[in-house]
Amino acid sequence: MKKKRNVLPYAMLIPGSVLMIALVFYPIIVTFYYSLQHMKLTAPQDNRFVGLQNYQKILSDSSFWYSLQNSMVILVVVVVLTAVVGLAIALLLNVDSKLNGVLTAIAIIPWALPPIVNGVMWRWIFHPSFGFLNRLLLRLDLVEQPVQWLNSRWSIMLIASLVVAWRNIPFCAVVTLSSLQAIPRQIYESAVIDGSGTWQTFKHITLPLLVPSFGIVLTSTSINAINVFDEIVSLSGYGDMSKNLMIDAYLRTFSFLDYGVGSALTYIIMILAGILGLIYIRNVYREVSYL
Amino acid sequence: MKRHMKKTLAALCCLAVAIGAFSGCGQSQGAPAESEPASAPPAASGQAPEPESETAAGGEITVMLPPWAEPSPELLQEFTDESGIKVILNVVGWDDIRNKISIASVGQAAVADVVEVDWSWVGEFGAAGWMEPLDVDAAVQESMPPISSFIYDDQVLAVPYSNDFRIAFYNKEHFEAAGVTEPPATWDEVIEDVKKVKEAGICEYPLSLILSATEPTTNTMLWLTNAKYGPFFNDDMSVNHDNVLNTLNFVNGLVNVDKLVDPASLNMKDTEVDGKMMANSSSFMVAAIAYNERLDDPEQSQVVDKTDPILVPGSEAVRSATFALPEGLGIPKYAVNKEAGKKFIDWYTSPETQIKLYGEQGNIPTSNVALEKMMEEGTLKDGETVIEQTTYISSPFPGGIPEWYSEMSNAVYNNVNQMVQGSITPEQALAGIEDKVNELRG
Repeated sequence: MKKKRNVLPYAMLIPGSVLMIALVFYPIIVTFYYSLQHMKLTAPQDNRFVGLQNYQKILSDSSFWYSLQNSMVILVVVVVLTAVVGLAIALLLNVDSKLNGVLTAIAIIPWALPPIVNGVMWRWIFHPSFGFLNRLLLRLDLVEQPVQWLNSRWSIMLIASLVVAWRNIPFCAVVTLSSLQAIPRQIYESAVIDGSGTWQTFKHITLPLLVPSFGIVLTSTSINAINVFDEIVSLSGYGDMSKNLMIDAYLRTFSFLDYGVGSALTYIIMILAGILGLIYIRNVYREVSYL
Repeated sequence: MKRHMKKTLAALCCLAVAIGAFSGCGQSQGAPAESEPASAPPAASGQAPEPESETAAGGEITVMLPPWAEPSPELLQEFTDESGIKVILNVVGWDDIRNKISIASVGQAAVADVVEVDWSWVGEFGAAGWMEPLDVDAAVQESMPPISSFIYDDQVLAVPYSNDFRIAFYNKEHFEAAGVTEPPATWDEVIEDVKKVKEAGICEYPLSLILSATEPTTNTMLWLTNAKYGPFFNDDMSVNHDNVLNTLNFVNGLVNVDKLVDPASLNMKDTEVDGKMMANSSSFMVAAIAYNERLDDPEQSQVVDKTDPILVPGSEAVRSATFALPEGLGIPKYAVNKEAGKKFIDWYTSPETQIKLYGEQGNIPTSNVALEKMMEEGTLKDGETVIEQTTYISSPFPGGIPEWYSEMSNAVYNNVNQMVQGSITPEQALAGIEDKVNELRG
């Protein structure tokens, strides 16, 4: 009887383990193997082991650093926007009101949209010729000519960040809201009795207690920002000017059919996302102190 | 016991990962085996097992096509009645087909028994050995000039069904309102005429030109260079420095000096740029021959009967020039029903079916027999101009379509796009293109 109890948990792990092995570990190992090969699909007779040469090639390529720069810009803007706006929305929704349920449901809509739909929708807002925003500005006589929103690197980066943030803010707001609602009222009551003002209460009680959930949210947002692909492609295609690391990896692998270099770049992206994932896991177990 | 279980489980996991990895590593990465033409019996040896099931008579095949190649159910039924072969159509966006074919081929599988093959994929597919060479009768090849775009290493990899090439269109109403009575024959005349259209306030940006960081911009550079200055590539496939620099300066002037091209074109899709003429907001464009039908289709166009096709303008040195962008049908190396697939291709590209498809989709036939018949019957719209333009078709690639087409194209469209955005000069754009092409040529 005792034996059965011991075996069961391990048996229950098997389906999950098989899936993890097939869909996570196997591709990771095979991709790493490919990344050490010269593997250009248009030259199959020239496949050979090249060690870390593909990594070397990428790190010495200015195109990689350009893409990394774009990815970092998006990362910073998305994290800042998501944190500030997400917190503000969570605080608004935390106020007791009959409309809270409806407002929360509305706030979640962008999060539920697939990234490609999100990208296409914003493309029609910022379309250089007949976009909604240009129509609005022209109708209000605020501009004489349509604004070319997507014709410069930094404006595309800013708009792409805005679009990604728009998708991530609801998640941030909802998680932050649940953390806000989990803070015991007694703590606030004690603070009021001790003469604490609104700002002091927010700074010394609310914010410290939000740190763990905020850490999770922002790390998850950061991973999303590093992995953004659909939105940029929808907004401006696969052009060099707006390409980030993901688009760079896609082009090298599927357009240029260079699986060796493409796999190496994929590994570099995975390491970057892995570092953010590590921060995420550490935040989950973080202890909080407040005064 | 627990420790023992953990160890056993860990060992099993490691074993599974190792087996998986080895099976991945063990996949053949070498050169694909030589293939016999599709009509011949499947090769007896090769690195990948040849498919066992072959449905030569009757059965079912899968066909992957872009939307504009889809035959009507009635037409398809004619093939099924004739051959006994049922066709399962898989209509997929053109952009996705290439990646689907390449990813499946890497896994030694086929996405369908018959697939779309664009002229620009031939170099890559040929080098990778992903397409089954087709046995096409010499007489059929003779009567189908665009087939030359699908020959790699003396083997036919696909049979063309759509004779796409660039031709010029102008808005008669706009030109007449600006006092221009004759259509332009040279680029100098085009510029002079569209400037009049702009100055008369008829159209703010009268010239449509695709300039986004996308593949069609490479086509723009190829046909424009060819038509105005001469070849884009030298015989050794190096970039023709003077011709390309002249074209870059010309394009930069049109966008940034004369302001004849809508700056929105720098980030608009090719169909959106070409659509400007259909929306009556452009006066001149060079576009796919399929627009000859679309511009006069009241469901799509606001300029019905207001436009005319003309030869792509030339220069003092060039009378007119264009190049073909044909699309064909081929059989992937790992297709299951190759014989039945070949029968479908033969039927689909036959003169009779091509004429019917022209009626359904507007694809210009690739068969001279079909074109001559349509001319005789007067069913080819603007037939004389269309046929005359075909006489000026030439390939921009003197040595055939290179296997590094995608990377070259990427360098061309990105440099052109950045130049018209003002980020780099025409000289820098040329240097970027030349450096990449020289690197690719090895």
